[in-house]
Amino acid sequence: METARKFIKTFSNVPMLGWLIGFFAAVLIEYYWGYDYISYYLGLPKIPVLFGALIMLKEPIMIPGAIAYDLIVYVIPILFIAKVSIFFTNRVAAVLEKTPLWMSAIIHLAFFYGVLHLWAGINDYRVLIVKLTLISIILTISINVINGYQGEFSCSHPGFMAIGAYISSILTLYFFVNDKTFGTAVLSSELGPWLFPIALIAGGVAASLGSLLVAIPSFRTRGDYLAIISLAFMFIVKSAVENLNVIGGARGMGGQPDYAPLPIIFIWTILCIWVVHNFVTSIMGKALNAVRDDEAASESMTVKTRKTKMTAFMFGAFWAGIAGGLFAHVLAYINPGMFSINRLAEILAMVYFGGLNSIIGSIVGAISINVLGEALRPLELFKWIIIPLILILVMIFRPYGLISFKEINAKKLLRSKHKREQGA
Amino acid sequence: MKKIACLVVVVFAFAMMFSTSAFSARKTIIRIGINAPMTGDIPKVGEGSKYAAMLWLEDIEKAGGLEVGGKKYEVDLVIEDNESKAESAVKANTKMITQDDVLAIIGPQSSKQAIPAGEVANKYKTVMISPWSTNPSTTLDRPYVFRGCFLDPFQGPVVANFITDEFGFSKAAVLYDVASDYPKGLAEVFKEAWEKKHGAGSIVAYQSFTTKDTDFSSQLTKIVKSGAEVLFTPQYYNEVPLIVRQAKDLGWKGPIVGSDSWGSAETVELCGESCYGLFFSTHYAAAGAKGATKEFIERYKANYGYVPDDVAALTWDALHLAQQAIQDAGKITGKIETDRTAVRNALAKIKNFAGITGNMTFTEEGDPIKCAVIVKINDKGEYEFYKSSCP
Repeated sequence: METARKFIKTFSNVPMLGWLIGFFAAVLIEYYWGYDYISYYLGLPKIPVLFGALIMLKEPIMIPGAIAYDLIVYVIPILFIAKVSIFFTNRVAAVLEKTPLWMSAIIHLAFFYGVLHLWAGINDYRVLIVKLTLISIILTISINVINGYQGEFSCSHPGFMAIGAYISSILTLYFFVNDKTFGTAVLSSELGPWLFPIALIAGGVAASLGSLLVAIPSFRTRGDYLAIISLAFMFIVKSAVENLNVIGGARGMGGQPDYAPLPIIFIWTILCIWVVHNFVTSIMGKALNAVRDDEAASESMTVKTRKTKMTAFMFGAFWAGIAGGLFAHVLAYINPGMFSINRLAEILAMVYFGGLNSIIGSIVGAISINVLGEALRPLELFKWIIIPLILILVMIFRPYGLISFKEINAKKLLRSKHKREQGA
Repeated sequence: MKKIACLVVVVFAFAMMFSTSAFSARKTIIRIGINAPMTGDIPKVGEGSKYAAMLWLEDIEKAGGLEVGGKKYEVDLVIEDNESKAESAVKANTKMITQDDVLAIIGPQSSKQAIPAGEVANKYKTVMISPWSTNPSTTLDRPYVFRGCFLDPFQGPVVANFITDEFGFSKAAVLYDVASDYPKGLAEVFKEAWEKKHGAGSIVAYQSFTTKDTDFSSQLTKIVKSGAEVLFTPQYYNEVPLIVRQAKDLGWKGPIVGSDSWGSAETVELCGESCYGLFFSTHYAAAGAKGATKEFIERYKANYGYVPDDVAALTWDALHLAQQAIQDAGKITGKIETDRTAVRNALAKIKNFAGITGNMTFTEEGDPIKCAVIVKINDKGEYEFYKSSCP
């Protein structure tokens, strides 16, 4: 215990920028020496893709090699560089602290993205995992608005996602691609990537209009009954798409152009985090909490409960639609079966695992479930025993999820750790 | 700080001591990827694919490796679970191609995973052979994607012709799952073929249900009342027994005919005697097989305790096709991109490949031209060859 505390204290004066530089150094090491030297001498067939989790589970004989690789490439360089660079990074952080918060945040994020891009770029499998994880983050945050902040138990998220996915796919296929369903492209395909945000937003808007079907019944029902209505909505969307042969029916719809590379998805994710954060900390966001905690009391305190509920649903559904649109363009194929009860279970697991009423909790939940799902892939059937078991344990020991009812304090996160040390 | 540094060094040294493969040179290994549904809705399909692949690997290992251009290479199978989900199949394919450096991929089996996964394989220019996917979009406009079975547009007319020739009926009913890609597509093709033969309105009942339904009595009552003489239901092994039993309970007397999705070993196990005497079209017949087919069935049965279904047989054929293409490619350069393209070109050139499910020659699209088999479930519950129909 004593050693651990000392260890943590040694690194307590490393600012966020220091950790980023440490990570950057680790990625550079992996990029230049990872394949040709380090993994070669450790007897690994390739650079371990997910910190060696896959190879460790598949071939236990590789465990020492994979652990050694993680130590050499990640742990030691990150700790070392982060600690050594504090003289420099704390000063830069102090300078950034004087600039407006948004500027400091953008600089940090840009740097973070650069490092992430480099790390993911080493292997396309990593790119795909990072993309799907970012999309899951948007989904989880958006359901947190309804299930966490507003306190309704909504099961219609896969439905919203499906609406967004189908509307944006129809738009991009109709306007920018020559395909079987809609014939030749109406506009030049060069415009596609530039107008793609409009298609996405259209998908989001359609999803939020669809959400009214659930929001309006929520005026009169709550709890279990609303959950059933929202579940019905999900099945309505699924069955409707299955029976619409124009858009492929159960056969699905494929051939979406690749308009969703990593930077685009990253920007949308950051945008989502920023907008939702501002929304839930605004007066409207506080009204959501008030309606959740006591509907009658908040009504008597002049909170418009109906408007609040509608806003929460439409807002959550909008981002679910965006996530659906991005998802469709990453996979380049969608079918109604994807947006069913399995997807719902996944989304609910992410939000309740991470924590209700918290953006940082949603991010943690989405990343953990996605990375766990990928890392435990070699276990096949046992994966579906281990993940639910972890969920049960989390629910027993932290009934509201890992990090619930907490918000990100960007200012505190990014500040220089120098001053405190000197007692200034 | 000192303690930590010491600890790290000790852990590292300890780790290296046990790492037997450390400092060894990288070998050129031929890796074949298997993308199969080991978990999810149809685990039996994944199991069949995996077992067939393991038998194939056994053969290769017995021969001391795969001989390509006069040199023997070690072969390794990379089996990935696609959870019967599209995005998981895409992830599995991306992983196998970019991380495991596979030379060719066998699978995914169902069309809903094979269509998006084929996109990935084609993008990275890696040969993918889907043994069981019957949807035309899987291989359409994708030079690197092939399949090992016939397509729905061929199977539908085969069944329609068989019923007409065998029983001389002219009024048929169809019961299918509207939410599932394969049954829906096949039901449409069958309807079209039947109406072409017997005129409009000869499909007297065209009933649908949704995946995971277990009660079909309302649809079946309509079918019984419609005066249909035969019922066609292109469903999977988990639904067929329910449909057949419920139909018989409701007084259905005519024959029930199915498609290749009936071919799983589970169908008869779950259905029991109610299914005896029924017909379905499929890729191969296990009972009464001869030659290489018989050999495969007996080996599979000896190893895993049951008669292999069509998925296993088609996977076996797909693996042999891949093997043949790799050997035809002439040599392994070690540069994976070059080798993959060479394998693709060799595979497209294969003519009259003698598989256990029939002879195959690929069309431009990567679809094989091969015969369909009509199978009768005999009184012992075996799938017996009844008739074969060639294009």
